[in-house]
Amino acid sequence: MSRESRIRRFSVVDRIFHLFVMVTFMLQATTGVGRLLYTTQWGKGMVGLFGGYESATAIHSWVGIIMLIGFLVHIGYVLSKVDWKKFPHSLFNEDSLIPNLTDLKQMGQKIRWFFGLGPHPKVDRWGYWEKFDYWAVFWGMPLFAVTGLMLMYPVGASSWVPGWTLNVALLLHRAEAILAIGYLFIVHFLVGHFRRETFPMNEAIFAGSVVLEKEKEEKPAWIERLELEGKLAERAAPPPAPWFRVVYFIFGYSVVILGLYLLLILFVYRGQIEWH
Amino acid sequence: MEEGAPMKWWRFSRFVTLQVALGLILSALLPAAAPAQEEVTSAIRRYKEREASTGYYEEHEVKPRRDRPFVGVPGVMRKLFPYSPKAAQVRSRTHLADSHRGIQFYAMRRCDECHVEEGKHGHTVRGNITCRQCHGGEPIASINHYFSPLNPIRRHSYVCSKCHEGASVSFATFMVHEPKAGDPETRKTFPLLYYANWFMLLLLVGVFAFFIPHSVIWVVREFIHKPEEKPHAEGKPQDEPRE
Repeated sequence: MSRESRIRRFSVVDRIFHLFVMVTFMLQATTGVGRLLYTTQWGKGMVGLFGGYESATAIHSWVGIIMLIGFLVHIGYVLSKVDWKKFPHSLFNEDSLIPNLTDLKQMGQKIRWFFGLGPHPKVDRWGYWEKFDYWAVFWGMPLFAVTGLMLMYPVGASSWVPGWTLNVALLLHRAEAILAIGYLFIVHFLVGHFRRETFPMNEAIFAGSVVLEKEKEEKPAWIERLELEGKLAERAAPPPAPWFRVVYFIFGYSVVILGLYLLLILFVYRGQIEWH
Repeated sequence: MEEGAPMKWWRFSRFVTLQVALGLILSALLPAAAPAQEEVTSAIRRYKEREASTGYYEEHEVKPRRDRPFVGVPGVMRKLFPYSPKAAQVRSRTHLADSHRGIQFYAMRRCDECHVEEGKHGHTVRGNITCRQCHGGEPIASINHYFSPLNPIRRHSYVCSKCHEGASVSFATFMVHEPKAGDPETRKTFPLLYYANWFMLLLLVGVFAFFIPHSVIWVVREFIHKPEEKPHAEGKPQDEPRE
């Protein structure tokens, strides 16, 4: 372990934001799926865990508000980190999460690599799938926020928009929830946990650091760029403490198991899902 | 006087007078002719009685309405119940004082025996309220009947506000009995819902159709990759290639 040199990939703030999203999303998912499937026995049980239908609704509403506040804090944080003097370069560079044409090219290369028709693309700091992950959540949040607030305060909302938009809001909220749950618990988990390179867990998002040699395979263009700019040394990071690894292994896997369980439930009761 | 002589004139006139008198009396007892029956008549009154609109229009005389009236024919079954001759007299069911007028075997039925889909919405399933709590007791008036509590002009105050304090007319435009968003008919009755449904459906299908195979193939592909395939970072001399 001590032979492997590590570099920092995620800052402490990044990791706190991810943890925040994990916790709030899982709370929303469990209360939400419980309420969605309330007509089933399972749903009643799950809702009962939260203290009944009204209680589950209240938790869902208030955790949603907390999520919204977290989202606004995140936007504020991101905007404060942008070097506006060097705009637009500070926003449209290889370290940025903003997609560009290289991502499209790399997607094509990767698909060719799937079928043995070419080499794996030399990925820089963020793979296109990671960018998609970020922006998918980023776009989902305002959708959830607006529809969620409308559904929380229907009387108030109907003084701004016609009441029949509440029907549409309910449909959008539920459909987006199913999309988010499906995407995270299938795609995000596959990529982060069940690949040969990331099995049993991609520890980077908890530990904050990655093993340099492994990162040379995962994100070669990034490491090359860091070496060229001479920034590798300043990114050196210690390995995570063993107790911390235990903690986040248990935490991470509990969330994975919970997520897969919810997926299974959604599949089993797919006939009872009415999203409108 | 000789026999066969003409009747005396004064005897003849008596007979005629009697006949004429009888005729006059009888003719006074005949029913009067029609124009004479009105006390007062004028062109205006005749117009109002015969030509002005009754307020009832036939289906072919009006533009198609959202709540299209369904008019039945005696002896014909409509969905679950047969129409009686009395029901067939009804031209529009959306403006009745008793919306279930003339429906045979109506008594002793439950609402959801005929209104199956309407019983499955959130207010019943999750809110635990019954049909009559909003629709009132018998006779249940048609929704557009002027005095119905569910008439859109007063629905928010008579019905919605019972639970949702402060409900406005806009609030009451929420469709409690939402149509199925995937139904082609919803395209005409609630287009935004229809298109939102299609949008989300396409979004979900699109995202999953791409990313799920992408991830699964990636997992499988990575199992069979040889280390030399993945480009290493250039620059520093390499250690032994890792497995």
